[in-house]
Amino acid sequence: MPTPNDARKNTAAGSAIAALLLYAILACPAVRVQAQTLIQTQTPPSGTAVATPLYKEFVDEVGRTVRVPQPVQRIVSLAPSLTETVYALGLQDRLVGDTDYCDYPPDAQKKTKVGGAINPSLEEIASLRPDLVLVTKSLNRIETVHSLDSLGIPSYATDPHTVNEIISSTERLAEVLGVPEAGATLGVDLEHHLADLHQRLNGVPPLRVLFIVWSDPLVSVGKGTFIADALKLAGAISIVDAAQDWPQMSLEEVVRLQPDFLVFAETHSDNGRTQFDVLAERPGWRGLDAVRNRRFAVISDAVNRPAPRIVSAIEDLARQLHPEAFSAHPEDEKEKKAPPPAPQHGQLLSLRMVDSPVSGNFFTEDCPCAL
Amino acid sequence: MRPLTLGRLLGHCAILAAVLFVVVVIALKLGAVPVSLYGLGRDLLRVLFRQTSQLSSEYQLIIFDIRLPRILLGIFVGASLSVAGASFQALLRNPLADPYVLGVSSGAAVGAIIALIVEPHLALAPAVAALLTPVGAFLGAAITVTAVYFLGLREGRIDSSTLLLAGIISASFLQAIIMFFMSTLTGGNYRGIAFWMMGELQTPPPQIVSLILRFGFFLAAGVIYTTAPDLNLLLAGEKEAMHLGVDVRRVRLVVYIAASLLTGLAVSVSGAIGYVGLLVPHVMRLIFGSDHRVLLPTTALGGAIAVVIADTLARTVVSPAELPVGAMTAIAGAPLFLYLMRRRLA
Repeated sequence: MPTPNDARKNTAAGSAIAALLLYAILACPAVRVQAQTLIQTQTPPSGTAVATPLYKEFVDEVGRTVRVPQPVQRIVSLAPSLTETVYALGLQDRLVGDTDYCDYPPDAQKKTKVGGAINPSLEEIASLRPDLVLVTKSLNRIETVHSLDSLGIPSYATDPHTVNEIISSTERLAEVLGVPEAGATLGVDLEHHLADLHQRLNGVPPLRVLFIVWSDPLVSVGKGTFIADALKLAGAISIVDAAQDWPQMSLEEVVRLQPDFLVFAETHSDNGRTQFDVLAERPGWRGLDAVRNRRFAVISDAVNRPAPRIVSAIEDLARQLHPEAFSAHPEDEKEKKAPPPAPQHGQLLSLRMVDSPVSGNFFTEDCPCAL
Repeated sequence: MRPLTLGRLLGHCAILAAVLFVVVVIALKLGAVPVSLYGLGRDLLRVLFRQTSQLSSEYQLIIFDIRLPRILLGIFVGASLSVAGASFQALLRNPLADPYVLGVSSGAAVGAIIALIVEPHLALAPAVAALLTPVGAFLGAAITVTAVYFLGLREGRIDSSTLLLAGIISASFLQAIIMFFMSTLTGGNYRGIAFWMMGELQTPPPQIVSLILRFGFFLAAGVIYTTAPDLNLLLAGEKEAMHLGVDVRRVRLVVYIAASLLTGLAVSVSGAIGYVGLLVPHVMRLIFGSDHRVLLPTTALGGAIAVVIADTLARTVVSPAELPVGAMTAIAGAPLFLYLMRRRLA
């Protein structure tokens, strides 16, 4: 049993420990402050910046002002779509790191990996000494951006919600990365493809489709997503009218809405045809006209990523949904098949991934498809 | 109970502090960028002698701006959670009591989610906005603790089993609310929440928050430590303690508030790291006995060691990606708890 004497010893011991640990509390902020001043001394004073513009300021798509070193030599991308965009702009040699899910083009798999989009390693990013880290609001976490800020590593965020915004976002990113011409050429090329598609689909009544992001549980896309917009451009309307981005659907609702077509994106583990067969065997799904008549389309998983390649996925879907629009004018068709003026980007659009790894992340529970 | 001497107490603490030091050095060494022990020692000495300008600059950012703050955060979170766990266990005389069972961490998660929801609607300066999530988490924890406390009262006194039940039920209710938010909200940055609910130490809290965490820890742990002799008497039973002159009601209120403060602070910076508050006190009790004057400081050091080890594993086993540190503590903690429980039954 404790005695008053013990209690006194107790207090003595307590204060000794407290004193020791108090040093720990007070000493550590000092270390941090000094480290931060060191970083600041490494950056040149603003006086010299006027003579040779070492930094340029840009406002990113979430409204933050970002000081970007010029030229940007070392880029780290934290999203598969941004990695694709960097490649599409021809800047792959400046990409020094990307995520585990950056699988397109295949060369992107060879870059230094910094972890997933949700859980990248800050240490790994810092060790690559990037001039700029690219993030996208719909996939990366705000905490990651805060952490990069506190380390003084600039990050530029994109946030496209429509196919047109994907194109303008690509052009703006090209300016930030110092290659505005490449961005403009790519943008013109993509818009040319979309305009051509629009002309072909002119007067063709849109089909009502169910875009299946995930089949178990059934997850589709909400009306505010770029995927819903992509469907519209391909001559389709999503039957799902939800405000959430990735609404979970009940089969009852799908049967009530009776889609004309089911649309799948290719996945790594199985191709879309077996996805359809798996669904068709489930009780209840046979009640759908689209299932009974095997009316479904399978397109590249590029549709899941807000990157330039989405335009090729849109064209692919339009061909599958409205073959009549592509065979009606054979002369036109021949003409259209001539190689586009910019071979670099034409090549990009004609590339189609046959077997792309599943790019989902098990932490992204609210976003089963990788952007 | 053996009489306690200052020497014995300091001896125990010194052993654990040495273990903690070794663990910290290893944690500083391991990671995405390898560091030599020699270089690490040299750099640490330079920091101590205020010669930071001579640091090898390539490592300086990673070691002193990323790894060291993260380890320090782990130390204080681990110490806070395990001291809170030891206090709840003594207070409720129940080996199952810990901050998680009492619903505190779920409350913190709800608070953090609400902060994330309202943040875009308040035009706040970035510095203030960064504070919103930890503040929301702390308020959520505080409100839950208060609610569970009043739900756990029976005829004006805390009833252990009623309080534990109230905590468990509140926790599952709050988790349902979290699921509701996550499946109905749109457009915001909520995907971090799943990770956050498992606990993580990667995101450094704002400077002011880490300072509050450190001072809060010493304040609350100090207050709990002054009641250590009373907690020892409470182990014998509530009536016995009362007959021996312990103001049971006051001790309960003070310790409950202090332990809740510790939990709220820890959860607000790291999310929900489970099993530390439950398990570390049990292990320390096995090694050092159940005298709270020894148990509380050793538990604090033990919790720090456990969390630093778990976090080092969390950032290295699937490198360069990261696991939530709470997943690591649960993987190691759940089997260990079952083992200890079966051993006690045998």
